[in-house]
Amino acid sequence: MATEPVSSSVASKQVFTQAKKQPRRSNRHARETLSAYLFLAPYLLILAIFTLFVSLYGIGLSLFKIDIGFTAPEFVGFHNYVILFNQLSDIGLSDFWTSMKNILEYVVVIVILQTALALLLAVILQHTRVLRGVFRTIFYIPALISSVATSLIFLWFYNPDGLVNFLLSLVHIQGQDWLNNTTFALPSIMLLNIWTTGAAFMLYFMAALQDVPRELEEAAAVDGANRFQIFWNIVVPLLRPAIFLVMALGTIGGFQMFDQAMFMTNGGPNDATLTPMLEIYNTAFSDQSFGLAAAMSVLLFIVIFIVTLVQRQLIDTNTNNS
Amino acid sequence: MAQLSSQIPSIDSSDLPQQNHQPGRHFRWPHIILYISLALFTITSVGPLLFTFISSFKTFQDILAFPPSLIPNPWIWSNYTQILANPIFLRWIGNSLIYAFGAMILNVIFSAMAGYALARMNFPGKKIIFTITLAVMMIPTAVTIIPKFLVVNDLHLINTYWALILPNMAQPLTVFIMVQFMKGLPKELEEAAQIDGASRWRIFYAIILPLVKPALTAVAIVTFQGAWNDFQWPLVALGSQNMYTLTLGLFNFKSAHYTQYNLLLAGSMFNIIPILILFFIFQRYFIEGATGAAVKG
Repeated sequence: MATEPVSSSVASKQVFTQAKKQPRRSNRHARETLSAYLFLAPYLLILAIFTLFVSLYGIGLSLFKIDIGFTAPEFVGFHNYVILFNQLSDIGLSDFWTSMKNILEYVVVIVILQTALALLLAVILQHTRVLRGVFRTIFYIPALISSVATSLIFLWFYNPDGLVNFLLSLVHIQGQDWLNNTTFALPSIMLLNIWTTGAAFMLYFMAALQDVPRELEEAAAVDGANRFQIFWNIVVPLLRPAIFLVMALGTIGGFQMFDQAMFMTNGGPNDATLTPMLEIYNTAFSDQSFGLAAAMSVLLFIVIFIVTLVQRQLIDTNTNNS
Repeated sequence: MAQLSSQIPSIDSSDLPQQNHQPGRHFRWPHIILYISLALFTITSVGPLLFTFISSFKTFQDILAFPPSLIPNPWIWSNYTQILANPIFLRWIGNSLIYAFGAMILNVIFSAMAGYALARMNFPGKKIIFTITLAVMMIPTAVTIIPKFLVVNDLHLINTYWALILPNMAQPLTVFIMVQFMKGLPKELEEAAQIDGASRWRIFYAIILPLVKPALTAVAIVTFQGAWNDFQWPLVALGSQNMYTLTLGLFNFKSAHYTQYNLLLAGSMFNIIPILILFFIFQRYFIEGATGAAVKG
C-alpha cells in the first residue's frame, strides 16, 4: 500500500516481468501446493484413518453381524437396528434403552447444574478484586484431576463409613450406602461430575464475562437497577453464545459418560448407572457383538445430534423473544 | 504518541473512583456474600483433594474409621513404600510416561506443521481441510471407539505403545489452536525470507516456530494431560497387565484390593500430583489450551 505512487516506468516494467513469468509462476504455485501437502501429510493421514474412515466404518459395521474369531462377518442390513427398536416395547428388559433412560436423566441434571456452577464461579471471580488469580487456580483444580482419580476419591467418600455420611451425621441425617442404592447411585455420580466439569467450564464464562461492556452495567446501575436485575437482564442475554457452547459441550460429553460408571459401579446396582457407552463397551468387548454395538453407537450419535440441535433452537428463540 | 499516553492515565483515573464508589454506596452485604462464597468454594475445590492427600498417610484401620479423623494417627509412609516396592506399579508409571510424552512430542510437531500450512500457505483444498478439521471435532468418541479398535487390531498394534500413540499424534483440536495462533503473525515475516530464497521448511522452523512458543506449549500441555489422564482408550487398546497405563493399573488395582483405600489413595497420588505440578508451572498455557476450543464458538 505504501508503494502506490510509483512512477509509470516502474509500473510498466512490473507488468512486463509479470507477463513474462506467467508459466514459471504456475510452476511455483504447484511447488507451493506440494510443500503445503507435505506439511499436512502426517495430520491428513491420521485424520483420514482414525477419524474419517473410522466414522464411516462404524456406520458400516452397524449393518453387519460380527463376532470376531467365530464366524465371517455377515451382512444383515438394518437387522441390528430392528433388534434395538423391537426392545422398545419393554424398556425395562432392554439394557440399551435402560441405559438411554439413565443417561437422559443424567444429562438433564448435570447440564443445568454444571452450567449454573460454572457461571457462578466465573461471576464470583469477576467480582473478586484481591488475589483473583489465586482463586481462579484453586477453583480450577477439580478440572485437572483424572476421571480415574476422582472416581477413586469419591468411591471412598461415598462408602458407608465415609466422609459424606460423616458430614450428614453432623446435621443428623441418616447416611446411605450411596453407590449400592438404586435411587442414589446415579445422583452420586452426577454430583462428582458436576464438581469436575463445572470447574472446567468456568474458564469459558470468565472469557465471555470479560467481553461484557462495563458501560452497560454502569448505565443500568445509574437507572437504579439492582445487581441481580443487571445480571439477569443485561449480562445473561449477552452471555447467550457462551451459555449455548457450554451447554452443547456439556451435553455431548454427558451423553458419553463412561469412566466414572465403569470405575465406581460398573453399571450397577441393578443397571441403575448403566450408561450407553458402558453398554456399547460391554456389547462389543464382553459379548463380542461388534455390529450390534456399532448400531448402538450410531443411535447414540443421532440422539446427541438431535438434542444439540433442539438446544440451539430453544436458545435462539429465547433470544428472539426478548 | 504523547497524546495517546497522556490519554490512557486519564481514562484510568476517571474509571477508578467510579469502581470504588459503586461498591461503597449500599453494597456492604454483597461483599460479605462474596467472601463467604470464596471461602466455601475454596473448601469444596481443594478440600476433597487435600483430605485425600493427608489420608494417604493413614493406616488401613484409620482410613475407614468412623468418624473419620483429619490427621493420620499414626502417620505412616508404608502405603507409598509398599506401592513403590511393586515392580508392576513402576511399570505402569513408565507406560503412562511413554504414552503421554510420545503423544505430546509427535502431536506438537504434526499440529504445528499442519497449522502452518493451513494458516499461512495458499493451495487448493485448504478451505475443505480446515472445515473438516472443525467438523470432526463434533464427532463423538461413541461412534469411533469400536471401529478404531478394529483398525488398530487389523494393524496388529493392540497391546502396544503405538496403539495408544498413533491415533493421538495429530489431533484436530490442536491443529485448530495452531492455526488460530499462526494466523495472527504479520505477513512480512515470510515475504522477506522468501525473497532471500529461504525454503518453506526453513521459514517454518527458523522464523515461525520460535514465534509461536506459547501455542506450542499450550498444545504440549493439552496433549500430555489428555494422554496422562486417559482411561477409556487404554482400556480398549491394551490387553496385558504389564502394558497398562497408570489409570488402567489403578482400575485393575481397585478390582483386586477393593477396600484397601490406604494403598489406592496413595497410588492415585502418582496420577494426580504430576498434573498439579505441571499446572502450577504452566498455568497460563493450561488455560489457553483448555479454552482453545471456545474460540470457534
